[in-house]
Formats: sequence, C-alpha cells, structure tokens
Amino acid sequence: MSSSHKSGDTERGDDRPRPVPGTTAATRDGTDDGLRADGGTPRSGLSSGLWRFPTLALAWRNLRRNRLRSLLAALGICIGVFVVVVLGVFGTVLQLSASQELGDIGNQVIVSPNPETGAEALSSRQIEAVERAGAGRGTVVPIYTDNAVVSATGSSTPAQVYGIDQPAVLFEGKAEPLPRRHRGGVLVGESVATSLDVQLGGRVEVGSEQYRVVGLMAPGEDITPIQPDNAIVLAEREFSGGFDQVVIAAESPEGATAAAEEIRATLNVRVEQVDVFELSEILETIAEFFSLLNRFLIALGSVSLIVAGVSIFNLMLMSTTERRGEIGVMRAVGIHRGSVLKLLLVEAALLGAVGGFFGAVLSGLAALALWAFSSIGLDVVLVPRNAWFLVGGFLFGVAVALVSGAWPAWQAANERPVEALRG
Amino acid sequence: MSRKVLSEHGRQDKPAVSLTGVTKEYEGAETVRALVDVELQVRRSEFIAVVGPSGSGKSTMLNLLGLLDGPTDGTIRLEGEDVTGLSRAELTEARREYIGFVFQDFHLLPTLTAVENVTLPTAYADGRYVDRAVDLLERVGLGDRLDHTPDQLSGGQKQRVAIARALINEPAVLLADEPTGNLDRDTGTQILEEVRDICDRGVAVVAVTHDELVTEYADQRVQLVDGRMQGDTDEFVT
Repeated sequence: MSSSHKSGDTERGDDRPRPVPGTTAATRDGTDDGLRADGGTPRSGLSSGLWRFPTLALAWRNLRRNRLRSLLAALGICIGVFVVVVLGVFGTVLQLSASQELGDIGNQVIVSPNPETGAEALSSRQIEAVERAGAGRGTVVPIYTDNAVVSATGSSTPAQVYGIDQPAVLFEGKAEPLPRRHRGGVLVGESVATSLDVQLGGRVEVGSEQYRVVGLMAPGEDITPIQPDNAIVLAEREFSGGFDQVVIAAESPEGATAAAEEIRATLNVRVEQVDVFELSEILETIAEFFSLLNRFLIALGSVSLIVAGVSIFNLMLMSTTERRGEIGVMRAVGIHRGSVLKLLLVEAALLGAVGGFFGAVLSGLAALALWAFSSIGLDVVLVPRNAWFLVGGFLFGVAVALVSGAWPAWQAANERPVEALRG
Repeated sequence: MSRKVLSEHGRQDKPAVSLTGVTKEYEGAETVRALVDVELQVRRSEFIAVVGPSGSGKSTMLNLLGLLDGPTDGTIRLEGEDVTGLSRAELTEARREYIGFVFQDFHLLPTLTAVENVTLPTAYADGRYVDRAVDLLERVGLGDRLDHTPDQLSGGQKQRVAIARALINEPAVLLADEPTGNLDRDTGTQILEEVRDICDRGVAVVAVTHDELVTEYADQRVQLVDGRMQGDTDEFVT
C-alpha cells in the first residue's frame, strides 16, 4: 500500500507511522508518540492521552457538550440514590434503636405444662430436662404460681403469688438488692406495697398466714409474663406439689432459642407435654415487621430512581438522535459496532456513577446529621448494613442508568452507517 | 495497521476497487433500482468523477464502493479480492484499513480537536498515529490549527481536516461525496489540488459531484442516469 505524504521517504508495507522531522527524541525511538509530558514539547498538547482511554475520553466530552442536560440527568440519579439510601439507613437506625429499647426481651424461656394433657404441674423428669437444657446457657429458676388476696393494716388487694428461691435472677430490688436465697418472709411488688401501704420490715397477710416483708421489688423493665409489679414472692417451701413453670434466664437470645429447641426436642417429641414460651419469638416477629417496613421504604425510594432512569433514557435517546451523523461517521471510518455501543453505555454509566456518588455522599451526611441533631447514637448509625446501603445505592444508581441507556445505545450502534450518515 | 481482512494486497496490477455487474435495488412499496448493472474499475493514481442528476444513483454507488452498503447483485472487489460476502465486522475492518471518506458536510466530531479528529479512525486500533496526524495536518496547511476544534475552523479548513482524517490509514481508495459542495470556488480549487496530489501519490480517488470544477481535476468522468452508466465516458487528463 503506498504512502501518500510529503516527505517522500515512503515505506511500503511498513505499518508504523514514519518519524516526522521535528518530532522529539521520545517519539523517534518509538517508545511513545511524543505525548509524554516529560518528553520535550508534545506537538499537540490537547491530544495527549485522549486515545489512551478512548471510550472514557469520548464519553466524558460528549457529556460535557451539553452540560446542563447531563447535570440534570445525573441529578435525577443523585436524588434517587439519596432517597433509597436515606430510607434504608433510617429504617436500620429505627430497627436497631427499637431493639436496644426492648433490651433483654429475648433472653427468657418459660416452660409450663401443656393444659391439654390435663397436667397442672411439671414432673420432676420434665424439670430435670429443662435444667439440662439450661445448663451452660443461663440460670434455671423453677416457679410456683398462685393467686391470693394480700392484706395489711385493714386494706387488701388481689395479687399474683410466686414461690421462688432465687428471686434475684428474675427481679430487682427497689432500694436494696433482693436476697440471693429466699428462705422466709415475703418480697412485695411496687403496686402491692403502694396499695397496702407497707414498708420493709412490715407485715402482710397472705391467705391466713402472716409474713414479714423482707424485700421490696422494683417495677419490671423487661417484657415478660412474669411481672413483679402486682406480685408477692414467697419461699418455695410455702408451696406443695409440683412447680407450675420453669424459667430459663439465658445469657443471650441465641442461648434462649437453643435451650427452647432442646426442650422441645426432648419433651415434645411424640406428645406435646409442655408449652415452651420463648420471648425471642416476639423479637423475631418485631424484627420481621421492621424488615418489612424497611423494604417498603426502599421500594418507595426506588420509584424515584425509576423516574431518574426514565430521564436518562430520554437523554440518551435525544443525544443519540442528535448525534446520528457522528455515529455514522465513526462507523464509516472503521470503528466497530461494539466500540460505539460501549461508548454510549459508558456515557450512561458515567451519568449514573456521578449521580450515584453524590447521592451516596449526601445520604452519608444525612445519616451523620441524624446522629448530630437527634438523640440517636452513633452505634446504630455506623453499622455494616448502612455501609452496604451506601455502596448498594451507588451501584443501583449506576445499574439504573445502564439499563436506561441500553436500548438507545443498542439502537444507535446497530443503525446502518448509510442510514445514519443520511442524517 | 495490520492487514487482516484481505489475504493479499497491494497488487498494483489489480484495480484498487471495482464494481462488476453491480445492481442495487431498494425494497419498498415498489422496488427502486438505484443502480443497474454497473461496471467500474478504479486503479491507484486514478481520479474518477461520477456526475449525474439527483437520484441518479451517485450516492448509492459511493456507498457500495465504500463498503457501507451491499449490492443486490454483482461483485465488489477491493484490491482484487471479492468483499461482497464479508460480515459486518469484516466490512468495518476493511473500511478502516483500505478506505478514506470525505463528506460534503465534513462530518468532524465537534468535541475533538483537529489532531484528534484525524486520529479518530485509529482510536481503537493498535498503535498511535498522532505523529502521522500532525504530519498530515501540516501537509494540508493546518500545522498551526492542530488543537483547534471544528467550530474554530473555516469550511475549507474543516474539509482539509477531513481529508487528513481520510488519509490517516494510508488508504487504497479515497471516496469523496461532493467534496467542494460547501466551499467557495477558491477553497474548492485548493481542496481539489490536494486531492489530485493524493491521487498522484498512489491512491485511487472517486468523487461524486455536481460540480464541474471537480471533473476538471479528474482523469475520467462517469455519467450516471437512472442508475445506468451512460455510453462512453469522457476521458481526459489534466
């Protein structure tokens, strides 16, 4: 193939461009095309580096061509990502704050006889099974339960009566700590003490027996059916017969769940001998609710991202229609369909990336503002799940932009150059 | 630039590009025959001007020569090799390697500088052609406009950038669609002298035109009427 330029030293069959008089040494030795910043004066300053990443460079320039339009499309993605991430993060914060407030709710397992079997008390075999299940996971507390009228100095009130030897495991003292071993006398709950107007050291009558008040119990904070408020606690020896229920006060919700499962596996295999009430189940229900709420919020936010996607679709459609001739020329001079498609997709992805980046940054700032301007702690804001929302929101933004740009890009890249050049 | 599409090339005894019995029909409500049984051979260093009224099939012929469109019937040969059955990707590759285009509307990318526009065909190819682009631009008298974008250039300057772009791949064939259509007479003359010079250095040139000026620079004048080549072609050398 013949060379057709001025300097005359034609190099037939040589594919490399000839050195040109006046080119820098860096060019002549073939290491670079005279574009290196440190290799003397490049003969064309602006050209340097464009073809190093041709797709990215061309895409960026095309977006800059109509800056306002590109900015608005990226802003759409930015807002969409911001809404999705903020709603996701807020949902997490709400969920974590709520489970903090609910405290040790999930740590108790309460085992009682199944009423359908007709049994009113737990057998010693059943209690042993519960004790084995609770071993190493927490403290096992057998309980007698009854109702009685409690009276003192002329007034009386109905109250729940518990028979527990280790009340300190389940309840807390109002002013002074409760005895670790409860041998005699009575512990009185807040409501009962108030309505009977009794003090520590006073006396109350339960049934026909008189008991000295050896402790006052603080109102319970945990959510559990075994509440100290409207109750009195007697020593176990005041009761006869079998225990009505056994409580495992586990050290963790996981321990409680594991103990409950073990009890069911031992005692409830063929016949449902016992009811196993596990509060961690309630926690799960609450967690499910929050998870549903969270997904609902994110779905709501996604609508705004879809709107942003439509605006990118519109922009890409306008842009490829306007640039039909240019795309035709690129195809005519030998740029492949795939390269044109990639260029247009990168344009859409860049809009998504820029919008998504700022959306993620803004929502990160909003999360920090939540911590700074409210009573919400940093420990529920800075959690891995929120970091995932930031990263996921950004990626979602890019994906929405790509999907929206795909069809216009595909159409433009696949148009026959003859048609495209016709304009 | 690698030559992959055609097995052998550069054989001077073969025409750079040829049409043999080429017919092009457009399907529609009624079939339009844009070209009928056209025979054309263009050798290196040969400049052919294709003239004819609007709708005579000039542009269709140029599109076929430029591998932008395929014939309904007949054969297109590039450097002696049949390229009629090549795939879309192979045709793209062949265009990049053997053909240079110059358009009436210049068709420069507005976001690129002169040098970048000239190197555009090689953007995704191996190797960089910036030096050759600079050389070509200097040759067409735009050495001081290398980093100017199209909106900073006059019509004649734009067409010269387009010519440099068409030459970046050292083409066998240069195809020009109304190259002087948007230029005044003086500028048009300069452009045609440039094209003539390129042709004399071994490139086959086909220009489609209404402009009688173009035919003055051509070796041969081909007249198209209703898609048919008319009788004897006038042959003259400037």
